[in-house]
Amino acid sequence: MELFTPEFGLVFWMFVVFAILFIILAKYAWPFIIKSLEERADMIDKGVVYAQNAKEQLDNAKAEAGKYIAEAQKKQADILRDAAKIKSQIIEEAKTAASDEAKKVMDAAKLAIEQARKESELQFRNEVSSFALSIAEKMLKKNMANDKAQAELVDKLLKEVENKN
Amino acid sequence: MKKVLTILSILLVAVTFGTSSVFAAESGNTEEINPKEIIFDHLGDGYGWEVPFSHSHRIPLPVIVCDYEGSWHIFSSSRLSHGGEYDGFKLATEGDYRNKVVGMRPDGNGGMEEYRPLDLSITKNVAALIISAIVVMLMVFSVVRWYKRHGMKAPRRGVGAVEVVIAYIYDGVIKPTLGTKAKKFAPYLLTVFFFILTMNLLGLVVIFPGGANLTGNIAVTLVLSVCTFLMTNLFGTKHYWKDIFWPDVPLWLKFPIPIMPVIEVFGVFTKPAALTVRLFANMMGGHMIVIVLTLLIFIFTAIGGLAIGGVTTVVSVAFSLFMLLIDTLVSFIQAYVFTMLSTLFISLAQAGGEHEAVSDGEAH
Repeated sequence: MELFTPEFGLVFWMFVVFAILFIILAKYAWPFIIKSLEERADMIDKGVVYAQNAKEQLDNAKAEAGKYIAEAQKKQADILRDAAKIKSQIIEEAKTAASDEAKKVMDAAKLAIEQARKESELQFRNEVSSFALSIAEKMLKKNMANDKAQAELVDKLLKEVENKN
Repeated sequence: MKKVLTILSILLVAVTFGTSSVFAAESGNTEEINPKEIIFDHLGDGYGWEVPFSHSHRIPLPVIVCDYEGSWHIFSSSRLSHGGEYDGFKLATEGDYRNKVVGMRPDGNGGMEEYRPLDLSITKNVAALIISAIVVMLMVFSVVRWYKRHGMKAPRRGVGAVEVVIAYIYDGVIKPTLGTKAKKFAPYLLTVFFFILTMNLLGLVVIFPGGANLTGNIAVTLVLSVCTFLMTNLFGTKHYWKDIFWPDVPLWLKFPIPIMPVIEVFGVFTKPAALTVRLFANMMGGHMIVIVLTLLIFIFTAIGGLAIGGVTTVVSVAFSLFMLLIDTLVSFIQAYVFTMLSTLFISLAQAGGEHEAVSDGEAH
């Protein structure tokens, strides 16, 4: 039965040791440890939330960047298209301007050529008429030796004039 | 795995030789083994601390006694070994006070009688108690030191292991049960848990800093459960006391004969009693089984000679090892159960308020 009867000495010491241990730990250890544990748990929770937010923001930023890039690409394509349009327009304009100019030059040339032709024609006619006149003079001088022939010619010429009128 | 096996086999051999030599010395002295005596001596307390491989040498511890005249005597326990007597005190060899310090005083008829002085000696159990307390403090303050030095960093290795256990008890047992009052009672409950766990585990270590059957001693568990009892009842709420003396049962159960109040009051005292016995019986049982298994070697050797004794040695040591491993688990479980039940009892005494109005309405 010795096992089942508590020994006073041991009860006393157990109480003393346990009380001292409890007081020391309760004062200097447990509250501090529990506080630290909870602080750390809070910090980890906050960290998780922060990381989640950061990831979300990063995802958003990525999506936004994608949007900007797409927009920029669209703008670039627009600008390129506009540039191509302007280019063809300029070329077209230049072409028309050139053809206009060429036409003008041609017209002027034609005009000048026409002028020159007319002038040369006139000159040619004058020369031809002067030659004809001189030839006719010479022939007349040879043929008008007799009066009959003269009268016949006058008559013939008169008839011609009459026919013309 | 290979390493573990090597360690295990070395331990097996060491344990076999160790116990053999110890008991060889013992049986050499007395010629015959008295299992009951050996078992109770090993489960009980002592004035010195056994050292391995020697039964006659012990680490001396201070004996502090107060004689019948009220004067204190402090001396080393080595003076009492081998039947020695000092200042009129000696170890009783038989009777109720076997192996305790006794003194002589006049019995009033002119003769002398043996009496038990007030004995506050630092016995083996008390020394183990102090060592356990120091170990607990070292463990707990290692965590505190870590926080002070490293701030919010998670501790590693041993400190981390202690912290894991603290978090396991605090977040797994104390907080869910006590809720908002967790912080108020956590210091007590955590101290209880770590103190019991350390005492349990140190008790399993065979040589010097351990080996005392502390939590298998009813005095230790009694003090612990009295503390839980005090914590429960000193901080009990009004609602708790009302439930004891005027519970919500039909009127005839509490008046004129207070059947329910009597049962409730009885319950207040059976709770700590159950705590005391549970821890004590579990730990003592573990120690007892290991000792009995070891003793089997000598009993069988005495009956059947060396051959049978040798076979029994192997079987017994294997079984003892198995039991010690189970005891390691039991050490943790019992510390956990004691803490859990203490938490539960305290939380029951903290119940209050919210159902009071409703149940009052029902009662009257």
